Amino acid sequence: MFKKIILLVLLIVFLFSGMAFAQVYERSETLYTSGTQWGPPSSWNPYNTGGYAMGTFGLCYESLFLYDPLTNEYIPWLAESGEWISSKVYELKIRKDVKWNDGTMFTAKDVKFTFDIAKTAAIGLSPIWNFLGSVDKVDDYTVQLKFNDPLYQELGWYIYNNPIIPEHIWASKSTKDVTSGIGENPVGTGAYMFEASDQSKMVWKKNPNWWANSALGLDPKPKYIIDLVNSSNNVALGQVIMGQYDLNNNFLPGIASIVDGGYGISTYFPGPPYMIAGNTAWLLLNLTKKPMDDVAFRQAVAHAIDVDQIVNVVYGKIVSKADPSGLLPIWDQYIDKELVDQLGFSYNPEKAKAILAGAGYKDVDSDGFVEAPDGSKIALSVVVPFGWSDWMESIKVVSRGCQAVGINLTPEYPDYPQYLDSKLNATFDMMICNDQQMSSTPWTYYDWMFQNPIADIATMQNGNYSRYDNEEAFALADELDKVKVGDIEGMKAVISKLEKIELTDLPLIPLWYNGMWSQTSNAVWTNWPSSAEDSNHYLAATWRGYWNMTGILMLCDLEPAK
Amino acid sequence: MTKPKKRINEFLYFALKNKRLRVGLSVVLFFLILAFVGPLLTDYKWDDYVGPAYHPPSYEYWFGTTTFGQDVFTQFILGLKASFLVGIIGGGIGTLIGVLVGFTAGYHGGMIDEFLNMLTNIVIVIPTLAILLIISVYLKVRGVLIESIFIGFTAWPWAARAIRAQTFSLRSRDFVDLARISGMKPLKIMFTEIAPNMMSYLLMTFILQFGGAILIAATLDFIGLGPTNAISLGLMMNLAVLWGALPLGMWWWFIPPGAAIAAIVGALYLTNVGLDEVFNPKLRKL
Amino acid sequence: MKQYFTRKLFIYILTFFIAVTIDWLIPRFMPGNPVQVLLARASLHAEAAKEMYSYYTKAFGLDLPLWKQYLSFWNAIFHGDLGTSILLFPQPVIKIIMRAIPYDIFLLLPSILLSWFAGNKFGAFAARTKWLDNTVLPIGYILTATPYMWLAILLGWVLAMVFPIFPLAYASSPAIIHSFSWIFIADYLWHWILPFSSLFLVMFGGWAIGMRNMIIYELEADYSHYLEALGAPRKLVRRYAFRNAILPQVTGLALQLGIIMAGALVTEVVFSYPGIGYLILGAIQNQDFFLIQGCFLFIIIEVLIANFLIDVLYIIIDPRIRIGMGGKSA
Repeated sequence: MFKKIILLVLLIVFLFSGMAFAQVYERSETLYTSGTQWGPPSSWNPYNTGGYAMGTFGLCYESLFLYDPLTNEYIPWLAESGEWISSKVYELKIRKDVKWNDGTMFTAKDVKFTFDIAKTAAIGLSPIWNFLGSVDKVDDYTVQLKFNDPLYQELGWYIYNNPIIPEHIWASKSTKDVTSGIGENPVGTGAYMFEASDQSKMVWKKNPNWWANSALGLDPKPKYIIDLVNSSNNVALGQVIMGQYDLNNNFLPGIASIVDGGYGISTYFPGPPYMIAGNTAWLLLNLTKKPMDDVAFRQAVAHAIDVDQIVNVVYGKIVSKADPSGLLPIWDQYIDKELVDQLGFSYNPEKAKAILAGAGYKDVDSDGFVEAPDGSKIALSVVVPFGWSDWMESIKVVSRGCQAVGINLTPEYPDYPQYLDSKLNATFDMMICNDQQMSSTPWTYYDWMFQNPIADIATMQNGNYSRYDNEEAFALADELDKVKVGDIEGMKAVISKLEKIELTDLPLIPLWYNGMWSQTSNAVWTNWPSSAEDSNHYLAATWRGYWNMTGILMLCDLEPAK
Repeated sequence: MTKPKKRINEFLYFALKNKRLRVGLSVVLFFLILAFVGPLLTDYKWDDYVGPAYHPPSYEYWFGTTTFGQDVFTQFILGLKASFLVGIIGGGIGTLIGVLVGFTAGYHGGMIDEFLNMLTNIVIVIPTLAILLIISVYLKVRGVLIESIFIGFTAWPWAARAIRAQTFSLRSRDFVDLARISGMKPLKIMFTEIAPNMMSYLLMTFILQFGGAILIAATLDFIGLGPTNAISLGLMMNLAVLWGALPLGMWWWFIPPGAAIAAIVGALYLTNVGLDEVFNPKLRKL
Repeated sequence: MKQYFTRKLFIYILTFFIAVTIDWLIPRFMPGNPVQVLLARASLHAEAAKEMYSYYTKAFGLDLPLWKQYLSFWNAIFHGDLGTSILLFPQPVIKIIMRAIPYDIFLLLPSILLSWFAGNKFGAFAARTKWLDNTVLPIGYILTATPYMWLAILLGWVLAMVFPIFPLAYASSPAIIHSFSWIFIADYLWHWILPFSSLFLVMFGGWAIGMRNMIIYELEADYSHYLEALGAPRKLVRRYAFRNAILPQVTGLALQLGIIMAGALVTEVVFSYPGIGYLILGAIQNQDFFLIQGCFLFIIIEVLIANFLIDVLYIIIDPRIRIGMGGKSA
């Protein structure tokens, strides 16, 4: 009797989990990716910048230009060209013979619409209207952007970082729908179209009518791109070892040994640092609190941290030590080497102690830790979000270094929302932060570092969490924005001044470069980018915002393994 | 009174003879000694970087090293101590509360029993994880003590139920009725008449709570809700999984902690069976 | 009978009310602001973020006074609306949970039921003969003493890495979309075996031990001796003993539910199995108020329903209760 009940129950449970028809995707025509999607795909709205399903912007929606960070070049994409026809007017020539994946022609109307909608809906592009006057459609394939105040660097960032949306679909959407709608059945101009999605994956299918096939001779070989939801880095590690992924962008503990271990997994560089540097990990110090407001104290901290230990032990050499200026290797040409030699910090505990002593920090009560010049006790904490295991390990190194020179610093691991809260409301002492990714211009870094006004930092959520108040720095960042894109010398001049401020005042201390984590398997697809001469030098990343930094070109270069 | 003393002697005799009790207790004792003597065998702290990473067990590193080159043996020893502490304190608190609630409910019956029963049910149903969340978020630094207290305060229902049932059956016995008739206060009856007869039961309940507390602590540690300033066996497994010990084949990092927990808790359960046989003559033949 | 049920129902409703209130309260008192978290992940530009902040706060009703939020919560529950998730914005919570439930049910129901039946059967066998007792007993104790996540890790390591027979993670292969076909079912089962086994084995140990102890108690009770003295066949005595021993096992099932939930959670974590437990972990780590609320609500309801079913079952099985319904208990 009981057995029959069980059988019945099991049968009912079986019926529970059934749905559509089965489909098996051929391995040889499928590209498996992972590392972007941390939860089930829940949105295909490209304006949901932190949460749209992998590839929504990049594979389906596209931008006016691509940007190649390794060569510092713009590649015309949906725009054939972009030119300043006068000091305040930027003219875009739109590419012809491009179709939306529902068959409608793509024209200047869509581009104008994309800019205009940013006026009414609060989306990523909206701030451009602070300095943009109007957008005019000159003809079906020409658009003019008329600026009140041309901020060249910022525009240079928008033209590759912003999805172009179809007017015939989006015009009828309410503002709420535009900013926070789910965006099912996305209609884009891109190489791939929505095929299917479920709890554990997102399936993109190749767009047979992609414009770049004929216009640029580009043809991506994978018929399907299946992005798998990942839940944790260690599971991803197991999957990578077993060859489940072709391209994986998780941070994988121990990846260095995997690469050297003969599993057929490779990274961009065959040896340390294995990965291209994607962003800088900074140590933020809260300048609204004592003794972080004392520049001598900050300098001491900078000299006390053994970043090499973080690089070698915690990360197993898959990251590299940051330049004291904090600028990424792709911006090496802007780094004022002389200035860095003169003013830059390095690991030097003796010097740290000397700086502290010289500034009046003495260990009055002989507990091994220094007190402030006014005698008050110092007991500080450095925080990272709980669960971010590599950062958790790293701040142990940071605090050990500080304690060795007499600074009472302890590591703490609040949950992410608390960490975020203390960041936004300046209640932390010190923390690690790596918000800004690589981009077309160091201006994005300085804009982030010297964000103002200070009073609005909490709601703007866009940088300067240290609350560094320096009018000169703010002005210089704005000045940098006004330098023309491509004017390397002009940029260097301004950047050098910014670097000087950063190196002397150290409102935040650059520690290491986090990698653009990327592991690739040669089992099914080859011709991945690498540092070798005969490979392409594109970015193998599925992260949001990276497809249009040549990720799509990487895709088109892939070849099936023999 | 000679009666209790003779009974204790009788128990001791059977206790020493009982194989299960002997085996169980020796295993627990072994680990207990290891937990307290162990730290003398190692100079390291649990998170010191002491050697080459990913190193399997060797002469120098008895249990190998972790992904950062920390000594697994050190982590194991210190983790043992933490786990024992949680077991004793958490189990102790749970038993205490459970006994109080169970006694009162069983003895008085009626409305008090109904009320306490309802309370017990509610505590069982409520997602303890949610409560632990809040607590863990407010306390920047969580220690072993807090975890034990929490476990004690949420694991008592099991003890309460068992004690209540036992109290029910005992209170209707003759000697209790005698005491009541003779005018003894209920509280005094509870402690002087009923309790001694339940001693064995109380002991066994404590052992179960002890084992349960260790398991619960391991689970909490594993999902990261455990102590933030110490290492424990559950935390070892958490770290091992987090840092890819499984795919990288670092068995020396995740096998010892779980094996130790299984061994200790298993031994505790075995001890319980043994004790049951000792206290309950009817069971002794099998 | 009616009195018994009304009383039970009253207690259940009260429990539900209190549990749901706590469920609602808890996320609210966690420091930190979910809207900030949402925006941080969206990495919007400064001005956009400012505007979105007030928009989302209104949208989630977080600017209303607490008591209003509480009432609207109850209102929403009865409409089946559990709000919008923050972690998986803009998916509605109910949809997210509904997707995860089948996985949980398919994992938990078979493992609980099968381990209960098998465990009880084996426990009963063990009480029969000495040699069985000496093998089943230690195995049972070791199993029940094994922490769920450790067994999961062990099984995963041995059967998925050392001998790659089963997959280490997820509920199904990426190449297959959910469906009704044999391919999918076979693939699903293949992924299901390890998580199922780790839950099953630990619980099995527990039931076997419990049952063995119960049977022994019963076999030593007066009525057993009496029957034996009357010359009743051993089998008959055992059958009666079994029926009596089953009773506490049934209530034990109800009590274990909470523990099993926790066990399922860690198992799902180890195998990345997309059930509710797994969802909760993600929701907690990202302070997704609404998802946490929704998941816990489901768990509360599941546990209460299960408890209720078990109470009913108990009445069916235990005639003493039925008879005792008329009067009061001794």
